[in-house]
Amino acid sequence: MSKNQTKSIDLVVVVMIGIVFLAIAIALFIVPSETVPTNTSSAMSQMMVAFITGITTGGLSCLAVQGGLLASSLAHQIEQDYIAHAPTIHPKKHAKKIEAVPVPRVNSALPIFLFLVAKLVAYTLLGALLGWLGSFLTLSPVTRALLMIAIGIFMIGNALRMFNVHPIFRYFSIEPPKFITRYIRKTAKGTDTAMPIFLGLLTVFIPCGVTQAMMATALGTGSAMFGAALMFAFTLGTSPVFFVIAYLTTELGARLEKFFMRFVAIVVLILGLVTLDGGLNLMGSPLSLQNLTRSWSTQPSDSVPAAAPSASDGSLILNVENNGYFPAILRAPAGKNLTLNLITDKTYSCSRDFVIPALNYYQLLPASGTVQVTIPPQAAGSKLFFTCSMGMYTGQIVFE
Amino acid sequence: MIKQTFKVEDMTCSNCAMKLESLEDTLEGVKEINASYHKLTMIVEYDESKLTEEQIIAAVKKKGYMAAAIWADNT
Repeated sequence: MSKNQTKSIDLVVVVMIGIVFLAIAIALFIVPSETVPTNTSSAMSQMMVAFITGITTGGLSCLAVQGGLLASSLAHQIEQDYIAHAPTIHPKKHAKKIEAVPVPRVNSALPIFLFLVAKLVAYTLLGALLGWLGSFLTLSPVTRALLMIAIGIFMIGNALRMFNVHPIFRYFSIEPPKFITRYIRKTAKGTDTAMPIFLGLLTVFIPCGVTQAMMATALGTGSAMFGAALMFAFTLGTSPVFFVIAYLTTELGARLEKFFMRFVAIVVLILGLVTLDGGLNLMGSPLSLQNLTRSWSTQPSDSVPAAAPSASDGSLILNVENNGYFPAILRAPAGKNLTLNLITDKTYSCSRDFVIPALNYYQLLPASGTVQVTIPPQAAGSKLFFTCSMGMYTGQIVFE
Repeated sequence: MIKQTFKVEDMTCSNCAMKLESLEDTLEGVKEINASYHKLTMIVEYDESKLTEEQIIAAVKKKGYMAAAIWADNT
């Protein structure tokens, strides 16, 4: 490859990444301020979470599910490049020399970029649709928990599929219907730009586990504008990872792809476990990792008095902070009515979405203030688990 | 026309199946290809007067996979 070609590739990459980061800035600072339905800071933080989720995990997870479609869009381009540059006659004695001539892939950045732009548009529209639908229905914590558990199992299954653990896990891979793949092939044949754009739009039909979780969040916003902004921020977040990995794999070949797929499998497995655990938390299950470890740590019950204040007067205080609930373990007398005081102070994280699954209690707390919850008498030795609506932050009341 | 089933053990995702099905467009004599990542198989319906089993295996190899004929149904 000549120096000029290398330079032009670098330029394309730098420009693309620059555009992506510029869009990030717009998404985070301009879009939220115009689309927020209620609380600006809360919406901003939700957008930020969506974007960070996208950039850290969504990109890899989506690549695992949607990478196939991207590869299809690239395959045509690469094939075209190869045909254009491959010599027509292959004399045996010059075979080595000819193979050593690298095929210029100046254009491989363009289909990836078009694919990602189409994907961004499709998911933003999907977010708007979900937000609009969400204005008609609300996802209860139990529904969300079941959704999270299903998503967690889906992700773990996919990770085990990628590790080739057992043939059964192949069924976790979504195969697009034949008529769709056939239709794409027939319509996009011979066109260099239509294929990646069309396939990018098509990713909307095969969302990855993390995307599905984000779609559920968009549904929960209950606003078309905010749902669209949320999905836009998330999909934008996934784009740099998608772009860089896709670009590197097409440039550096299948060996690297294998390495990345292993990496993706590990990340997806961890994410799947985290999502499943979040779902269990949200169900109020004592089997979730956090609740199990907390139970073990409280076995010698008197060893943590500072973290477990007892309520003798029938009222408990729980500080709802940005990074969780404090204290995470509360002790209360059994067989008595209790008042739980939830205190927020500039709390903007999901810990504000307070859930007590066993009581079917769900409340979005004010950013600052106190909310009282009446807890009916509980049996001695029982535990009441509480969590945020994402199943991320948890705690428990131990009745004794 | 003959319907031949091939085992393609090295498919790693559903995109591999899509790639194999794209041979429909390039292999002369092929009527239809149905590839399944779930079953790691590829069913090719083709005109045996225009195409041979070996040619199909060679075309699959060009796509980066190893196919082995396992079952044929003459129609």
